[in-house]
Amino acid sequence: MTAPHWLSAAEIAQAYANRTLSPTELMTALLARIEALDPQLNAFIRLDAEAAMRAARDAEADIAAGRHRGPLHGIPVGIKDIIDVAGLPTTCHSQILVDNVAKADAAVVQKLRQAGAIVIGKLSTHEFAIGGPSFDLPFPPARNPWNRDHHPGGSSSGSGAGVAAGLFPLALGTDTGGSVRNPASACGIVGLKPTYGLVSRRGVFPLSFTLDHVGPLTRTVADNALLLDAIAGYDPADPGSAASPARQFGRLLDHGVRGLRIGFVRHFHERDLPAHLDVAAALDEAERTLRDAGADIRPVTLPTLNEFAGINRVILCSEAWSIHAPWLRQRPGDYGQLARRRLLPGAFMTAGDYVGAQRRRTQVIAAVEDALHDVDVLMCASSMDPSSRLDDPEETARTYPRQARTPFNVTGHPAVAMMAGLARTGLPVSVQFVGRYFDEATVLRVAAAYEQAAGWHTRKPPIG
Amino acid sequence: MDPIIVALAKAAGLDRALTDFPDDVQAAAEQALNNKTAVRVPEDPAAEPWPPMRAGIGQWGAGHSGAGQ
Repeated sequence: MTAPHWLSAAEIAQAYANRTLSPTELMTALLARIEALDPQLNAFIRLDAEAAMRAARDAEADIAAGRHRGPLHGIPVGIKDIIDVAGLPTTCHSQILVDNVAKADAAVVQKLRQAGAIVIGKLSTHEFAIGGPSFDLPFPPARNPWNRDHHPGGSSSGSGAGVAAGLFPLALGTDTGGSVRNPASACGIVGLKPTYGLVSRRGVFPLSFTLDHVGPLTRTVADNALLLDAIAGYDPADPGSAASPARQFGRLLDHGVRGLRIGFVRHFHERDLPAHLDVAAALDEAERTLRDAGADIRPVTLPTLNEFAGINRVILCSEAWSIHAPWLRQRPGDYGQLARRRLLPGAFMTAGDYVGAQRRRTQVIAAVEDALHDVDVLMCASSMDPSSRLDDPEETARTYPRQARTPFNVTGHPAVAMMAGLARTGLPVSVQFVGRYFDEATVLRVAAAYEQAAGWHTRKPPIG
Repeated sequence: MDPIIVALAKAAGLDRALTDFPDDVQAAAEQALNNKTAVRVPEDPAAEPWPPMRAGIGQWGAGHSGAGQ
C-alpha cells in the first residue's frame, strides 16, 4: 500500500471516499513528515500546522456528513510566499516585507478554500521571486530532495521541493520567467504555467505585470488538472484576467496522443543553448516515446532563445523597477545581493527600450501563433542542465539562464514542464510541452500520455 | 566607475546604492546594456507594442465590457 505522503490528490480523494484514510490521518502523517524532513529541505517559511489540523477536522466532519465540496476537499496545499494568505505574513522571502501580514486571501487562495483544500503553510521562494538561491536572506534557501546539496530550482523553490519530497501533494507557484517550471524540472514533478490571464493574480506580489502567472505544481498530471480547475477563472479585480469558458482541464487526459501533431523545437537545445548530454538524450527519448504512442512529431523553428530572453529581461526589469524603485533608493541594503543585482538593471532601461521590447514581443507572439497553426502542441527543453550545487554560485549563475521557459512568459501560451529522466548524477531532467491559448486540456493530454508511457512519475527522491 | 553610469544612477535616485553597493550598480548597468542589445526592435514604424490598447473593462471581449452590452 502506498504511504499516505506519496498519494496523489486524486488518490487521496478516493481514499477519503472509501474511508480508508481521513483528512486528520493524512494531516497527522504529513505534519510528522514535515517535522522530520523540512529542517533538511527548508521548503517552508511558515508552517501553519494548527490551522491546517483544524481545517482537516472540519473537512472530516463535512465529508462524513455528506457535505462534499469536490475533489480537493480535505487536500493539503502549500502556497508560495508571494501569495497572500489572510493572517499570515507574505514575506516574499525578503527582509523588506518580513513583517507584512496579509489582510485577505489572494484570489487563488479564496478559490482553493471554496474547493475545500487546506492551506498548510507558506513556502520558500527566491527573494521577490527573482533573487536566489541566496544565503543572505532572512530564511534559508530550499534544497532539492533528490540531492540536498543541489538547488531545487526557483523561484517557486519550496513548492517544488515540498511536493517532490512528499510534504504535501499540491502547491501553488508563480512564473514570470519560468519559476513554476524550473522547480518542476529540477525536482522531477509537474509544473504548469497557464495561459496569461487564466488564473487571477489578485493578492500575488507582482514581479512583472505582463509576464506574471500563477500555476500549479504536483506529482502527477491528473493532479495538475484538478488544481488548475480549482484556481482558474475570470476575476474583474485582475486587469489581465481573461473571460475564458475553459474548464475541466483534465477532460482529455485519457485520450492519448495518436494523431496529434507535435512540433519539436530542437534548435532551442541543439543550437541556441546546447544542452547537457543527459538532457539532450532524455529529449530524444521523449520524442521516441511520443512517436511510439502515435504522435506525429515534426520540426518547428521559432525565434532564438537569446531573443526571447532579451525581450523577457527588458520587460521584466522595467516593470519590476517601477515596483521596487522606492525600496531600492531607500533600503538597498535590505535586499539580498542577487535580488539587488537583478532588480537594479531596470534603473538603466529607457522608455524606448521597454516599448521596443513590447513591439518585438508582438512579433514573436505571432511567430509562435503561426507555429501552432500547423501543430497541436510544441515540445522543447525546459532546463538545459540538471540543477547545480547550492554552494557553487558560479555554476548556478551559469546554468540558471540556460533554459527555454521564458519564451512562453513572453507569449503567454500555456506550458507544462515535467520529469523526463534522471541524469547520471541522479538528478531529474525534464521536457516541456506548450499549447495554444486556453488549450491547457490538450497540453495536459500530451503530458498525461507521456507520463503514462515513460513512467518517470513513479520514481521518488531518495529522502525519507 | 564610468561617469555615465554614475550620472544615470544618480538620476534614478540611487545615491545610497552607489555609496553602499557600487559593484552591484555597475553590474546592473552592464546587465541592462546586454539585455537591451539582445532585442531586435521592429523596423516597421507601424509595428505596435503588446498588449494593444483596448477600451473598456477587461481585455478579452465584450462579455465583460460595458461598451459591448
